[in-house]
Amino acid sequence: MFTFSSLVQKAQSLIDPSASPSTRNSDGSPSKAALFRLQFRLPDSQTPQHEITAELSLSAPHSSRASAQGPKEKQKPQERGTTYVGKLHLSESFLCFSTQPTSFHHSASTQASSAFTGQTQGAGPAGNGFTLPLCAIRRVERLQTPNSLFALAITTWNGFTALSGKQGNSSDAQRFTVQLAGSRQASERFCDGMKKGLRDGVKEVENLKAVIGECYSEYLLSGANKAERENALLVNGVKEPPDAGLGMVFRYPGDAKKLREQSKMRLWREYLRDNGRNATLIRQPTFHKLIRVGLPNRLRGETWELTSGSLYIRLQKPRLFTDTLSRYSGRESLAIDEIEKDLNRSLPEYPGFQSEEGIGRLRRVLTAYSWINEEVGYCQAMNIVVAALLIYMSETQAFFLLSVLCDRLLPGYYSTTMYGTLLDQRVFESLVEKTMPILWEHLVKSDVQLSVVSLPWFLSLYINSMPLIFAFRVLDVFFLEGPKVLFQVGLAILRINGEDLLDITDDGAFISILKTYFSRLEESAHPKSENEKFRAVTKFQELMVVAFKEFAGITQSTISEQRAKHKDVVLDNIESFARRTSIRNLGPESKRLSMDDLGFLYDRFYGILYEREQRIQVMREDIDRRAKARNDNATELVTGIPGNSSIEIGRVGLGPSPTLMNYDSFREFLAGITRWAITDAPTSHKDSMSERASSVYSGHSGRGRSPSLSPWGAGNSEPADHDFMQRLYGKWNKDDNDGLSLQDVVTGLARVKGTTDIMTSISYFFDLYDDDHDGKVDREGILRISEALLFLTRRGLGGSSVPSSISIASTLDDGVDPKSSSADERFLGSISAFIRRCFEYADPDHPQNQSNNLTSSPNTELNISMDHFTIGDSDSEGDLLDLGIKPTLLQQFSPSNPSPPALPRRTSSLSHTQSKSISKRSANIALDPSNPLHITLPTFRMVILADELLQQFFESAFPASFHLSDHPAHSHSQTPLTTFSSPTPTVPAAPRGGIVPPVKGLRGVLDNIVSDGMRVAGEVRKRVDEAQREMERSALQRSETDLDDEEEKGAYGVEADRRSVREGDRELLEGEEAVVGVGRGGSLQVEEDLLGGMDAEADSAEKGRIEFER
Amino acid sequence: MADTAAAPPKPSSSVKLVLLGEAAVGKSSLVLRFVNNDFQENKEPTIGAAFLTQKSHLPHRTIKFEIWDTAGQERFASLAPMYYRNAQSALVVYDLTKPTSLVKAKHWVAELQRQASPGIVIALVGNKLDLTNEDATVSREANSGEGADAVGGEVAEEGGDARKISTKEGREYAEEEGLLFFETSAKTGVSVQEVFTAIANAIPETQMKGAKGPGATGAGTGQTALGSERVNLNQRAEGAKEGCAC
Repeated sequence: MFTFSSLVQKAQSLIDPSASPSTRNSDGSPSKAALFRLQFRLPDSQTPQHEITAELSLSAPHSSRASAQGPKEKQKPQERGTTYVGKLHLSESFLCFSTQPTSFHHSASTQASSAFTGQTQGAGPAGNGFTLPLCAIRRVERLQTPNSLFALAITTWNGFTALSGKQGNSSDAQRFTVQLAGSRQASERFCDGMKKGLRDGVKEVENLKAVIGECYSEYLLSGANKAERENALLVNGVKEPPDAGLGMVFRYPGDAKKLREQSKMRLWREYLRDNGRNATLIRQPTFHKLIRVGLPNRLRGETWELTSGSLYIRLQKPRLFTDTLSRYSGRESLAIDEIEKDLNRSLPEYPGFQSEEGIGRLRRVLTAYSWINEEVGYCQAMNIVVAALLIYMSETQAFFLLSVLCDRLLPGYYSTTMYGTLLDQRVFESLVEKTMPILWEHLVKSDVQLSVVSLPWFLSLYINSMPLIFAFRVLDVFFLEGPKVLFQVGLAILRINGEDLLDITDDGAFISILKTYFSRLEESAHPKSENEKFRAVTKFQELMVVAFKEFAGITQSTISEQRAKHKDVVLDNIESFARRTSIRNLGPESKRLSMDDLGFLYDRFYGILYEREQRIQVMREDIDRRAKARNDNATELVTGIPGNSSIEIGRVGLGPSPTLMNYDSFREFLAGITRWAITDAPTSHKDSMSERASSVYSGHSGRGRSPSLSPWGAGNSEPADHDFMQRLYGKWNKDDNDGLSLQDVVTGLARVKGTTDIMTSISYFFDLYDDDHDGKVDREGILRISEALLFLTRRGLGGSSVPSSISIASTLDDGVDPKSSSADERFLGSISAFIRRCFEYADPDHPQNQSNNLTSSPNTELNISMDHFTIGDSDSEGDLLDLGIKPTLLQQFSPSNPSPPALPRRTSSLSHTQSKSISKRSANIALDPSNPLHITLPTFRMVILADELLQQFFESAFPASFHLSDHPAHSHSQTPLTTFSSPTPTVPAAPRGGIVPPVKGLRGVLDNIVSDGMRVAGEVRKRVDEAQREMERSALQRSETDLDDEEEKGAYGVEADRRSVREGDRELLEGEEAVVGVGRGGSLQVEEDLLGGMDAEADSAEKGRIEFER
Repeated sequence: MADTAAAPPKPSSSVKLVLLGEAAVGKSSLVLRFVNNDFQENKEPTIGAAFLTQKSHLPHRTIKFEIWDTAGQERFASLAPMYYRNAQSALVVYDLTKPTSLVKAKHWVAELQRQASPGIVIALVGNKLDLTNEDATVSREANSGEGADAVGGEVAEEGGDARKISTKEGREYAEEEGLLFFETSAKTGVSVQEVFTAIANAIPETQMKGAKGPGATGAGTGQTALGSERVNLNQRAEGAKEGCAC
């Protein structure tokens, strides 16, 4: 049925490649898509594809439309029907028309696109026009027009359920024309896009049929009277009216007569007959007026669904509700417990919710929603809102409407921090201050907090504040025009009661005045008036007039602006509350740390999680940048609240945020509070110490990425990765969660830092290395401890409270002091002494071996051998090794990897030393793997206490190396080991080991000492390995069995496997979007009589129509 | 300050009281029992907070309680400061049959002690006594002899009833923190009136509304009064804060 010239289309797309939808998508400026969706209430999958100025012509099948029209609408002669000029938009599966001056064209500025936040003439945000799913279009014809314009005649599937059975009367076949007013090329492009969409839409027709089959309007229009309806029943299989809520069974609230149900229903039938129903409805001014006077009960749910846009989501996923229920059937959750508690107490006064039927429906809707949005789960007040919805709509409809409420209309209201609620309270207060300064001042003076009354209004949409029938009237407009309605009504309530409120002095009186007011909404607003018509105006009607007339200036953009303005304060408050509560509830262990420290830890902990989230986000966005950014900006622009997917993700105040720290975050955390946890230069991987670690680094060292995409963030120092840190992480991670909670971190730190008792400190350290908790640390463990000690002190003892080394920390930061190097040398000495003593006093592991071996400590031998491969043994301890001596000393322990040619001597001397010591060691039982040994805590304690420096380390330096609030670690990016931060291009040739590059000066010397210290430990390890191999060899020769080779290898294997924990895939939080309601202020078109005496008008109008209808 | 001329009619003053505690421990039911002497199985959950008033007649004065009954769901916690601001008294409620509710109650006590008005009188109330099979009189009065209560607690445990938190545990915590302590049943009404009477008695006259004086400490509340970082859900409240010059 398509009559477009495809040839021209093809040519066109060759000329203008941007015409193809895919490229247009990515070229568009960011905010368009979301604005577009919000305006037309479309599902998130839709993006604007084409738009064109067009003229919509509607025929006038039944009645000539003499009703008032907005200034923009031209009225053509009667026989031509009505004509509207506006923009026609095409998305993937929707064709939308609006008279609002809005453009989502990719070349239009953002400014123009957000212009829809202006006044709506009461027409609702989307203006007059339609939002037509393409699958609802039956045929499109191109009409011959004299002026060679594109004129399309669109026929919809309107009422096709009825049509399929009987020959529908002509009014059921909805047909209207759209005249495109663009260039020929633009028009053809548009038509081409539409053709594609229509083709895709064909498969949706079944969905559409199923979905609208649940709309009451289909049933309503299936026959004008009962006889016809019965006929339809026979022919079409339309058995019974679709579910229009519990009200059909348990009666709808209110007196049907008083509500003028019958006349409303007649008016609506009239409107729907003329303008299409549900998915094919065309919005004309009457539509908005009909909504303002209150929807009829049976059409209420359907109209809410339509105006809020939840119908379109249901259309896309018609089975989501039932599927969700069956998928999670039988599962339990916290939300479900909470829901169960409240089921019996949701609108308990309504009979439907005293029955199993009603409660069952409520349970299913709330439960299903808690599963599809686990972040929100369930929040009290949702039960009341959903209960109210269920009076008028089916479970499925309520389910989708609830999701539109939570996602768009009430952003953040029901989140776990309820930031949306708090934010809107703040916004409401600021609006009261602006519009009613005197009242505001009075409230402030009397110390009455407005939110205590207004919070429930917003949170439960006035449902438990006003009598139900009036709350539903508010909802009618709310779904059409958006969140601003809640503000307008709230302001109107205060305005009307303003005088009384000026007399109150406390919260109690404030509340009781409003309570009284709400209970008398149906009374006359002017009971004493002479004029009868005036007397007939109820307080509620007055409220609506004040809300939409006097506060017409409150538009969606006002709200968005205010939200953006107050967002930070509100989030800060929530966060400080959360912080306070969280810190206070950290448990008894936390008492060992000061309040300041706890505060510091809290900030640091969540700061890191937040930053990491952001970095991940940035990295993701780099991949998917444009689409993402577009979403976020638009959402923020529109609602003033950042979407959940924006870079604010992870902010505590916004709701669920990560609360667990994985190992990588933990490293980063440590790097922020200690100096030893910052990695050495990335180029120092060849250190024997970090050889194993280097494999970990290379995976994500960031060298392949641009700096901003480094996993540690630009400018941050990269944290180290060391066995010690892994052990610490494991130790703190008591409950084997996926990460550390703040509680874990605080408890962990409290144990380390909160104690000044050296014994506790020593045993803590010992426990770290006692893998199987048997009170023994084996040979491997001893070596690891010594490595850790070197690792921890490689930037000096660090603790400012260490008396003898007090200068170390400061000098390290300031630069250079030869004395400090001596302190480090001494520490190296201490550590080698430590190793020696450990082996010296170690106990043999297997008692049965004792008889075979001379394990009764060949002390002298051990001493000798150890002397050969340690620097600074007890004799040299305390010696001031001058810089001249050092290199030669270090040569002996330089790594085995190729040395620079400048130092040929080193290799030989090294091998010489090695061979010498190996030969000696072969007889050394301490290093004999076939003779496992271990130290116990008392031994360890003794060894530590035997050395002054080690004692100091455990007494104060180690605890003090964690800098909390008192001594913030200012080491970031100015750490002593800064080859990292001062990149030298000549690095490849940079000599290591004993050579001191001139540029590095004394600091370099220091660096070398430290890294050499690590090498010492590495060397020790290597030699142990060699000794072991030696033993193996000799063992083989001697045909001895059972060497502990496997055990050793196993240990290494584990090490290699212990890669850092990577980021788990974090769910990208979907942008939370709020629907933008379009407010149209001043020139509100709702006539006084429409509200004041609308019912009267309705009556007269009805008469007229009835006459017409006969 | 308050009219000391104790002529008939008795001087009357109002006291702001806030109820806090985990969801479904019976906060609203306690209030309903106190205000209407009634009990409902299904009460609508409190959204934000409910406001009720009730008079309590003491020998020498009449006290009008302005009761703020808050929502218990965890996520409403951040709204609580809005309701407990300027409160002279608080009822922190837990469920005798639910250990987690006492933990939550302790959190609330800590929050109040640091954030609420200095001198706030706090009563710790273990509710749902009817679910334990204790004789109502045994643990009625917290200030009575230790022996009787301790026995009550033991008996309860032996009896294998629903009680999970012994009277001893509750009272020891209350004494530590300087709180009034009661075990009640909103269902049967046991001890409910006594709670409010005790609170009324514990509030010094200087703390009554209109005569709020700084520095007057409530009975037994060991105040730490670190009110400086109090959350302001509403910035304007800053200026209007009552004379806590801490």
